[in-house]
Amino acid sequence: MSMNIRPIKVDDLLGMQACNLQNLPENYTMRYYLYHALTWPSLSYVAEDPKGRIVGYILAKMEEDVGADDQPHGHVTSISVLRSYRRLGLAKKLMVQSQEAMATIYRAAYVSLHVRRSNRAALSLYRDTLGFTVKDIEKKYYADGEDAYAMKLSLTP
Amino acid sequence: MPPASMQISAKRALASKEATLFKELLTLYETRQLKKGLKTADSILKKFPEHGETLCMKGLLLTHMGRREEGIDLVKKGMRFDLTSHICWHVFGLIQKGEKNYEEALKSYTQALRFDKENLNILRDSAHLQTQLRLFEALVETRHTLLRLRPNLRQNWVALAVAYHLNGEVDEARKVLERYESILKGVPDYDVEHSELLLYHVSLLEEVGEFSEALNLLDTNAKARVIIDRTAIMERRASLLTKVGNVGEAEDAWNALIQQNSDCRDYYKGYLSIKGVDLGAMSEEARQETVRILRTFSEQLPKATVPRRLSLEYSKGDEFRELAEPYLFSGLSKGIPSLFVDLKDLYRDQDKQRTIEEIVEGYNQLYTPEDEASSSSSPSEPPTTYLWSLYFLAQHYLHIRRYSRALSLLDLAISHTPTLPELYTCKARVLKRSGDIYGAARSLNDARLLDLQDRFLNTKCAKYRLRAGLSDEAQEIFGLFTKKDASNPASDLEDMQSLMFLTEDGDSHNRSGRLAMALKRYVGVQKAFNEFEDDQYDFHGYSLRKFTINIYMNLVSWEDRARLNPAYVHAAIEAARIFVRVHDDPALKNHQGSSGQLTDAEKKAKKKAKKAAQKVQEDQKKAANSANEDKGLEAPAPKDDDPDGTKLLASSDGLETAAKLLQPLVNLELPSVRLWVTIYDVAVRRKRYLQAVKALLHVSALDPGDPELHVRLVDIRKFWPTLLQSPPAPIGPTASEVLEELIPSSTNLETYNAQYLQRGGSSASVVLAAAKASRILGSPEDEISSTVFNLLNPDVDLSIEVSVEALAYLTAIKSPRADEFRSRLDSRFELSTAFKPSSEFETYRKQATGSSLNMEDGEKAPQ
Repeated sequence: MSMNIRPIKVDDLLGMQACNLQNLPENYTMRYYLYHALTWPSLSYVAEDPKGRIVGYILAKMEEDVGADDQPHGHVTSISVLRSYRRLGLAKKLMVQSQEAMATIYRAAYVSLHVRRSNRAALSLYRDTLGFTVKDIEKKYYADGEDAYAMKLSLTP
Repeated sequence: MPPASMQISAKRALASKEATLFKELLTLYETRQLKKGLKTADSILKKFPEHGETLCMKGLLLTHMGRREEGIDLVKKGMRFDLTSHICWHVFGLIQKGEKNYEEALKSYTQALRFDKENLNILRDSAHLQTQLRLFEALVETRHTLLRLRPNLRQNWVALAVAYHLNGEVDEARKVLERYESILKGVPDYDVEHSELLLYHVSLLEEVGEFSEALNLLDTNAKARVIIDRTAIMERRASLLTKVGNVGEAEDAWNALIQQNSDCRDYYKGYLSIKGVDLGAMSEEARQETVRILRTFSEQLPKATVPRRLSLEYSKGDEFRELAEPYLFSGLSKGIPSLFVDLKDLYRDQDKQRTIEEIVEGYNQLYTPEDEASSSSSPSEPPTTYLWSLYFLAQHYLHIRRYSRALSLLDLAISHTPTLPELYTCKARVLKRSGDIYGAARSLNDARLLDLQDRFLNTKCAKYRLRAGLSDEAQEIFGLFTKKDASNPASDLEDMQSLMFLTEDGDSHNRSGRLAMALKRYVGVQKAFNEFEDDQYDFHGYSLRKFTINIYMNLVSWEDRARLNPAYVHAAIEAARIFVRVHDDPALKNHQGSSGQLTDAEKKAKKKAKKAAQKVQEDQKKAANSANEDKGLEAPAPKDDDPDGTKLLASSDGLETAAKLLQPLVNLELPSVRLWVTIYDVAVRRKRYLQAVKALLHVSALDPGDPELHVRLVDIRKFWPTLLQSPPAPIGPTASEVLEELIPSSTNLETYNAQYLQRGGSSASVVLAAAKASRILGSPEDEISSTVFNLLNPDVDLSIEVSVEALAYLTAIKSPRADEFRSRLDSRFELSTAFKPSSEFETYRKQATGSSLNMEDGEKAPQ
């Protein structure tokens, strides 16, 4: 019940990768984690158990190609909590910390993310628990041809 | 004499038309217009076919276009024509860097710099190579040169500071940063990069103990909104205030952090430390004060769990019970699956363990439905509280090794709610611990079937199948979530660097005696760590451009320690042990383990892999013939010509490979008994006797009574005189002295062994080690067997793991009593399948992939 939530260190990345591989179908090599950590070191957070094992994480970034009519905004590349550590509100706590950092450091106006159309559990987490809304459907966003919901959450009060 | 770069050799001179073309060629390369570049190179070469620089450039272009071999040949040819050209050396260095041959690349760059001392590109690349190779002194020099040449480039200042820092010259680093900040002009507001840089400066000051100065720098720039990372400001501030002993402000700072993120344990620890509470050795008074503080936080922050959990740590007796009750009740009624895992650390305290058991048993009884018909025994509490109390208690009894009790509680829970996957994963864990690996796999399959969309359950199910030695059946399960276009599930998991998969699959093959495949997987782990090491390269430049220096320094130090990760340590040790076994018994090279023949799934996978490989080759050909597309300089992964590890297993230099795998851990001096024993095993077979005995010295320092150490000491002492005489590796006096220290040459080994057994006879590992040692000393088989049988004495603490090892040992020495031993273990470990007669295994294996769920019945119409 009491998991430690804190900003990431490079030492956490292997644990995040392991957590991601165990939980989610979208996986990345270490390079991609490093790229996030070394570009936006304050946006990603982990939840660790008392033994220091990573049981949840949020991997986040700032969108780099912002259109002329768009505002600076953050993007959640991946967020995950091990099944055995659910119902503790960890996803929400991780998200709140990351959003706070996006807003204060990079003055992000909103945060976006993608979710598979078929992933009802994740959709309900983002919509019902975290307050995101569906803004768009991106056709064939995933490598296997599945569509994605593009979701957004405003960070300006 | 003019500088080298001015001496244009006859061969390098071009006519003016071609000289212009050559300049064009360089620009075309810079802008990656590969096809045009190639044409230009060709028209120069028409007139000047031996122009080294053009040949090298053409080779470089071809390499970029994917025609690697041809390209490299041309580069080498060009080099031969012109060994004093910085361009030729630079190109060669680029190619070597692409092959990740950093040492050689740096040599080429150094040559290039001889002929063009101030070439910025070459200097910058050299700096990156020097960082990768940890040649920090040289790095400082290179960074100095770069700053001297381009002092107006911001990153050159930072780069020099970082170089000094890496080289341990922190004061110099400080001076550079101070100078840089003093001359810096026109930084825009809200500049993230400058904010990051100043945070680095603050950390640097903190690192050298200049706390007040660090605090000043932080405060000034935070107030001026130059440092904008709020969390970082608050964290650094709290830490610095604590270090300078400013109690009042530090308390506020930690408190502010707690209000902002009430789930971070470090913040509470910081707060408590400023209150003078030393969490290590605590007086009764301090303990009470700690609990009081934590209780205040708990009241203030109703949603925060950390202070509640921490207060359980520090409270005692009645107060503990008072705090534990609501904590447990809230966890059970919310149905929090991790409640037990969260609390089990408290079990170190027997009283707390008993209290927790009492409380949960109490809830369990209170909320037990009276009978099936009336589930309204406690109308205020939902039936799930009862269910989760069963789940908690099952884990509790598993923890204290009362397996049957745990199982009966889980069966009760399952009959209450047959659709909760957690109950089946827990049952699987109980079965696994009690030795029924097949039942465990089956139970996890049940869990998986209850939520097919969940990869967590999928992964666990596959892992349990691997534990049961069901490799193919595990692949099928993994394959439900791996990429469909991968040649097989394993290759996707390997590409994604899944250390868990590589480790578990390797272990599974290893246990089943499929040594080649096991090696393949362990080496896969090594490959992943090689990739992690290479991954840092690009960041040596990137992070300086982004000014994210704090995390970059963290990266560099992590890279130096990365192989201490348990996955690498395990893989290195197990692979080395396989090489040792094969060295001792070369017949194992041809032995494919229990399932020598390919299964259908393996055949299918092989076919698929072959097809995929063909496709890759075709694609490469197509690409090579067309496109202007830049393939980069990185050498593509070589084709895997040893997909099942047989070549690796059969290689003649296995011990050398083993030594290389272990070397990083030798350098890092990891304190692990199993590691140093393995280092010994490899070294002694490579006739590195000094290294070997020194490894034993390491083991002895860690645990002088270690059973594996005992066996090896007896062995090497007995054979030392023979080793001393055997050429061609004369043993120096030092090795003999070290060994003398460990076990004097005057030792009577029989007595030594007998005493060892007497001292530690209640430990199963000691008994087994004494048996092994007595065999080395030439005891007859029946005596050795009867020593092993001592394991069955009631006063010996016997685990399943040691039993398995002992049984394998009796089988290996062809003891006629091996089967008798097996059947006695079988009755001793009732639930375990490890000691069943081998004729029963086929049945178990089949059951393991089945399901106990009654799903079809459930879908039938209600009766």
